Amino acid sequence: MANKNTTILIVAFIVGLLVGTAIGYFIPNPGTVPKSEYDNLKNQLQEKEALISQLQDKLSKLEGKKIKAAFIYVGPIGDYGWTHAHDVGRRYVDQKFDWLETAYAESVPESDAARYIERFIKEGYNVIFTTSFGYMDPTIDLSKKYPNVLFFHCSGYKRSKNVGTYFAEFYQIYYLNGLMAGALTKTNKVGYVAAYPIPEVVRHINAFALGVKEVNPNAKVYVRWIFSWFDPNKAKEAAEALISEGVDTLAFTEDSPTVVQVGQQHTKEGKQIYTFAHYSPMLKYGPDTVVSGQLVHWEIIYQDILMKIYLGIYNNTNLQNVDYWWMLREGAVELGADFGVPINPKFVPELKNKVLDHPQFGKISVYDLVMKRLAQMKEETVLFDPFTGPIKDQNGVLKIPAGERASHDLLWSIQWFVDNVVGEIPKQ
Amino acid sequence: MNEWISIIRTIIEAGTPLLIGTLGQIAIERTGILNLGAEGIMIMGAVTGFAFARITGNPWIGLVAAILIGIFFALIHGVISISFNGNQTISGLALTMFGIGLSGLIGRNYIGIPVKHIPRIPLFPLDKIPILGQILFNTNPLVYLSFLLVLIYWFILYKTKIGIIVRAVGDSPETAESMGISVTKVKYLGTIIGGALIGLSGAYLSLIYIPAWIEGMTAGRGWIIVSLTVFAMWDPIYAVFGSYLFGGVEVMQYILQPYGIPPAFLSMSPYIVTILVLCIASRESIKKRLGAPKTLGKPYIREK
Repeated sequence: MANKNTTILIVAFIVGLLVGTAIGYFIPNPGTVPKSEYDNLKNQLQEKEALISQLQDKLSKLEGKKIKAAFIYVGPIGDYGWTHAHDVGRRYVDQKFDWLETAYAESVPESDAARYIERFIKEGYNVIFTTSFGYMDPTIDLSKKYPNVLFFHCSGYKRSKNVGTYFAEFYQIYYLNGLMAGALTKTNKVGYVAAYPIPEVVRHINAFALGVKEVNPNAKVYVRWIFSWFDPNKAKEAAEALISEGVDTLAFTEDSPTVVQVGQQHTKEGKQIYTFAHYSPMLKYGPDTVVSGQLVHWEIIYQDILMKIYLGIYNNTNLQNVDYWWMLREGAVELGADFGVPINPKFVPELKNKVLDHPQFGKISVYDLVMKRLAQMKEETVLFDPFTGPIKDQNGVLKIPAGERASHDLLWSIQWFVDNVVGEIPKQ
Repeated sequence: MNEWISIIRTIIEAGTPLLIGTLGQIAIERTGILNLGAEGIMIMGAVTGFAFARITGNPWIGLVAAILIGIFFALIHGVISISFNGNQTISGLALTMFGIGLSGLIGRNYIGIPVKHIPRIPLFPLDKIPILGQILFNTNPLVYLSFLLVLIYWFILYKTKIGIIVRAVGDSPETAESMGISVTKVKYLGTIIGGALIGLSGAYLSLIYIPAWIEGMTAGRGWIIVSLTVFAMWDPIYAVFGSYLFGGVEVMQYILQPYGIPPAFLSMSPYIVTILVLCIASRESIKKRLGAPKTLGKPYIREK
């Protein structure tokens, strides 16, 4: 009996196999399925997936999945510069995402940052943004102590599995401002009020000077250091000192609108001074003096980081290589005297009338040159970089060979001036 | 030449808030009240002046508001020091911290907005004097006011009976009281005048010098006033030199920077001078000849 049953089973199996193969042979393979049907299936799948993620979203909301992000600021949010701009970004994401809760501590001394961060962590904050270079070491230390918390440090270079870095970089815009400054100056003396002799500021001065040089090889850039990120009094006195030495165009790296106001006052008194705003829209502080400037959109970066954390793309194991170095292409920075006003209309005719013979574009007005360069740097594949060789330093040493672009590392640690800058970099 | 005219004028304009503030501080301290609240009063003056100028669109109303808030804040310190005989050091420090915090809170809505400021107004016909006219009489109205204040101060303090009374109250309130002077009244009067001027010096910063409200914009000027008062040995004429010296150092930092003089050295130099002056002034033999109020910081408790 057992034997017979076994034989039947084997025969049935073989017959099944044959029939299966035959059916398989006659049924067309997936590759020959009509494309419309394939697309249809795929669309259905995608719809289902979207639905799933929506449901997950709703579920996690019901479960109360929330991101609590804390921001540590080095200055007061009323500085109208660095910290103010970060806080604009914070408020933007806070309003935009209902799964996000934010808090901040302002004027946190760099030596005391750890205490503030720990307090936030104890209150349940699971994403910490530290927004000053000096917070780098405390951030790294605490990331080891709290491996489940995500840290993002602005302007630093140390990362780990739960520490990422981010920065909105301005040098492209400083270069564009330099183009305009070189065209507008009558005395061929362009001033620059600078905060600290660190690579970031040196890079910006250089980018600005390269722009000046491109349209006006005779003009020089005069630098004054004020050794402060935020000191309106010092900024005012440095700007006045530069003006009394014959400078008629001013750019700056400092967190108050003071330089613009000095320019406005002199312009009102009959001596036209051209200024370039820094960090926040300053057109209203100097409608007769501000030509353009650099503006930041931290919200673009914060939005991207927080969204990716929320979706689980970033977690506490994979931040080692997360480094935002965002510029014009990503929309993290903007050229402008005010948002949406790239160039103060008052100075547009002057810039349009100034025509030069450009090695790349031929006869071109400075206005068109600025717009062309702006467009080039906004491209997906950035078509132009201000730091393209040949670039020489103040001693005439060739630092960047012809045709080469400066590397990220070089720009990151730059400690020399290009050849049309007057002034030295004090040793720290 | 023109370059130097503009530099010297800038020095005077940078020194003027210090001068006005120091004159205020002299008024308070001459009556024997130690005032460490200058920074707090000054920054309240700055924010209030800005706020009122912004709301009314008239910077002069801002100046008046700053004077009033200065008086109010100085009176807080006055009531504690004069009527309650409190610890003047602690009261003054508390006032500074309170002022810095409160000004930040009030100023929240005034960040990043411009204000109609007080421009330079040439003082005809004095501005036609060659060189000097451009330096002294083509500047802002509060600079003219500060010149006037110094003259009034000097005259009252050394040439009138009021001056003798004020000095007597600061040096020996018991004697003053026995002469039938109300020590309390004189001290309150000094506090009111001082508060008004320190508040005004704050508004100078936010409505003239840097026409904007920026948190913490006094940047330690209140403390410079405190040390300048010592430097000037409570004398209005010396206060002029002291204020312009400090103002000059601030401005010259950037003129001299290209010549390789480190800014840090220049910014500390006035403090070195202050320390030197303090060392000299603290010697007994010299002290007697100086104007330091002898009961500075000590509460006056009337004998019953």
